[in-house]
Amino acid sequence: MDNTGKEKEAMQLMADADKKVKSSGSFLGGMFGGNHKVEDACEMYARAANMFKMAKNWTAAGNAFCQAARLHMQMQNKLDSATSFVDAGNAYKKADPQEAINCLNQAIDIYTDMGRFTIAAKHHMTIAEIYEAELVDIEKAIAHYEQAADYYKGEESNSSANKCLLKVGLYSAQLEQYPKAIEIYEQVATNTMDNPLLKYNAKEYFFKAALCHFIVDELNAKLAIEKYEGMFPAFSDSRECKLVKKLLDAHEEQNSEAFTEAVKEYDSISRIDQWLTTMLLRIKKTIQGDAGDLK
Amino acid sequence: MRSDRKLIQKRSQLTAQAKTAASVLGKRMAYPKSHNPFADDDEEETTASRSRGGFNFDDDPAESRMTEAERRQRHLQQEVMRTAQSAVDSSNRSLGLIYESEKVGTETAEELMRQGEALKRTERMVDNMEQDMRTSQRHINSIKSVWGGLVNYFKAKPEPAKPPQRDQPTGYQANSKLQDALSESKQQEDRYEASHPNLRKLDTSGFGASAASNDTPSNQNGYSKNRHLQAAHEKLDDNLDEMCSGLSRLKNLGLGLQSEIDDQDVSLDSLLNKVDNMDGRISSTNRQLKKL
Repeated sequence: MDNTGKEKEAMQLMADADKKVKSSGSFLGGMFGGNHKVEDACEMYARAANMFKMAKNWTAAGNAFCQAARLHMQMQNKLDSATSFVDAGNAYKKADPQEAINCLNQAIDIYTDMGRFTIAAKHHMTIAEIYEAELVDIEKAIAHYEQAADYYKGEESNSSANKCLLKVGLYSAQLEQYPKAIEIYEQVATNTMDNPLLKYNAKEYFFKAALCHFIVDELNAKLAIEKYEGMFPAFSDSRECKLVKKLLDAHEEQNSEAFTEAVKEYDSISRIDQWLTTMLLRIKKTIQGDAGDLK
Repeated sequence: MRSDRKLIQKRSQLTAQAKTAASVLGKRMAYPKSHNPFADDDEEETTASRSRGGFNFDDDPAESRMTEAERRQRHLQQEVMRTAQSAVDSSNRSLGLIYESEKVGTETAEELMRQGEALKRTERMVDNMEQDMRTSQRHINSIKSVWGGLVNYFKAKPEPAKPPQRDQPTGYQANSKLQDALSESKQQEDRYEASHPNLRKLDTSGFGASAASNDTPSNQNGYSKNRHLQAAHEKLDDNLDEMCSGLSRLKNLGLGLQSEIDDQDVSLDSLLNKVDNMDGRISSTNRQLKKL
């Protein structure tokens, strides 16, 4: 009940704000401080948008925020405009993902113009997440994650950059762009293996890189494992390394049973996730054309 | 739980292997199916292995000829096997849990690092803001009055904020702590080894027994159990070793996390102070502007 009332109020506000903007366009309005009117209109748009949010009318809210943002741009308030675009994007996220991405892209343009790369990177990540979850367009998601990683690197936020890079690697490997994935995982692993806090995860990244090598070519995998063991001795103790070695042996003997056995053993102690299952299945297919069931 | 079912499968595989070993030496069935509490879940596995092993059921009538004592002995041996097996199972589960904790710990560590960087960035920005506030304060002073402008001229220029000496990598502090932790955990490991000989003794006896059984064609059930037991104990040994190293890794991870959190605590406090100052300054500047 309360919400529908709010919605009506909001629509009223929008209409008022529209009138104000129009009136400020006319000559007389310009004479009597048109800017003042435009500012008022901005504020009214923002209030209307908030009321739409309360009424859960996300499209209308996004629309109102967009209007406010455009007015801010007119008044050369870049920062306010960008924040309004971000608000619009958030509102649209729940209703119309494509529109949300548009708004966020505009916000990003403004931020990069002002040199605020960190915040632009954060929004690139948001866009990439939308592509991941709602629109399921992996290629575009990869592109945005890459962009975010570059911006973070530029701002010396290496951990955030690593987080984005890992996602890029994950999806590239899924899309069978193995050289790229390998490069990313090796890079991240070499970066983290010196850090005393992050080195516990370095073995995970070496493992993933080794698996990608494996899918491309078995010999590559062998050389890669030796290289990694030389760089990072703790890797050779890890169960992941032992698993890869067992898989290499099984592959050499073309023994898919031993392969499944090794995977089962690893799985009995730490659960294999979706990505890992996909990769292992691909490797298994190269052993003998039989599409055996891993589980 | 799925992991438990997997463990059960593993366990039945172990028993299946033991059965094949037994049949190779021409023994009677070591585990009548009725005694095996876990057999119900994995009928196919055991039957498959049995066909592979090629059990001779002809030997069954010989069982009835066993004396009461022998039957009791077998029963006790089976008990021993069961307990050993359940020990192996639970150690497998513990190992799984340790690895899970490690995973959680590493993810936490990464988040912490990101947080630390964000904090540093925020501090840098607040310093910049302070710089800007000082400049604007000077401007306001000059606007307010001519006298103020003169005072400004004589006041020293606001020095650029010293770059915060925060480039001392927090890693180093963690490092020395880790070194100590590492040496400590090594001592722990030695102490662990000392407690091992209990198990080791059993193993060697198992070894001795199996060495003997290889030569003699006619065997009692005892040897097969020993070999089985030996396998179980070996697995238990391996698992315990892995658990030991896993736990020491976890400990180091925890210590590293602790030192990182302590550092971040310190920077959070200083950040809080700076932001409070900033807040006061902004409101006073606002008031001055309004008066203008």
